[in-house]
Amino acid sequence: MHGEYKTPGGKLVVVDFDVVDGRFKNIVISGDFFLYPEEELSALTNALEGVDIELDDESFTERIRMDLHPETELMGTSPEGIVIAVRRALAGGEV
Amino acid sequence: MSDRTDPTPVQLADWETRFTSVTWTLLPNPPLAPRAQNAMDEVLLEEMAAGRRGPHIRFWNWQSKAVIIGRFQSVRNEVNEEAATAAGITISRRMTGGGAMLVEPEGSITYTIAAPESLVAGMSFAESYQFFDSWVLGALRELGVDAWYVPLNDITSTGGKVGGAAQARKHGIALHHTTCAYSMAPGILTSILRIGKEKLSDKGVTSADKRVGPLRQQTDLDRDVIINHMIEYFRSRYGLQSDNFRAEEMNRLDQLVAEKYNTPAWVYALP
Repeated sequence: MHGEYKTPGGKLVVVDFDVVDGRFKNIVISGDFFLYPEEELSALTNALEGVDIELDDESFTERIRMDLHPETELMGTSPEGIVIAVRRALAGGEV
Repeated sequence: MSDRTDPTPVQLADWETRFTSVTWTLLPNPPLAPRAQNAMDEVLLEEMAAGRRGPHIRFWNWQSKAVIIGRFQSVRNEVNEEAATAAGITISRRMTGGGAMLVEPEGSITYTIAAPESLVAGMSFAESYQFFDSWVLGALRELGVDAWYVPLNDITSTGGKVGGAAQARKHGIALHHTTCAYSMAPGILTSILRIGKEKLSDKGVTSADKRVGPLRQQTDLDRDVIINHMIEYFRSRYGLQSDNFRAEEMNRLDQLVAEKYNTPAWVYALP
């Protein structure tokens, strides 16, 4: 499944994943955002891996936020923006 | 435009103090293979972190056409790989975030400016972007291009979008690189790069190349003339000594290209 969201005035975030037994699998997060340090991409990606897709947006957002190191700088997108892309993917939309 | 963010006189004075507080070196600009250009940034960042290199500026020249994708971009989502291969275009992943750009040997003006992070201490990321490109905007203004910054990392002008920048922050070093469009073959951008509707959703335009204002079109000047003007603008204000790459740096470059930038593991890190 594939979803995209561009933060107005910011950057694009793209989320690709499979759903296996009602859970997120093989999540890939990509886009033209900025992330310091770059190694934190795996934290973003792992935050929802294996998580129940029936949870609400707030739970998704919180999991992403919790997984990021407090010193991490994510610019151009946000945990909320990633969740919008996830939601669009789950809805099966083109964008 | 409402998003125009010109620096204040106080900011300009602060920036000038910062620029003149260190000794700058201008490095040579031999044409390199696209992946070697991207690797060179990392080589020089390592050298700075090890204390063997100081603050420097270098302009990039290309041996061949390339799509340079951002650190976190997916190849599949950004590039029409079949069309790129057919057109002899190399895909190269850089160490910094941001968006894909299509470069041709004479088609863009790209440079790196790198310094210890202490040079931008106390600045927001957004201000540091403007700071590192301020001399280029000053030089462009002297050439009649009214250019300004759109945060975070875009340079635009009354004649259209000019370029974009990206930064790496690692080992106490800030490495900032910027690409300005110089000339563009019509249509090539849209046939190679995938620019979806979502990406343009807040731009108020429907096609990617309509919003670009290449510098040749805006100035009627040769690429080298513009680059030399940028260099002299910097040199006359902040000082700039020329130096060459060292043998150790070129050896490390070959190694880093072979071990990282040329490998599928890096290029397709996000497939």
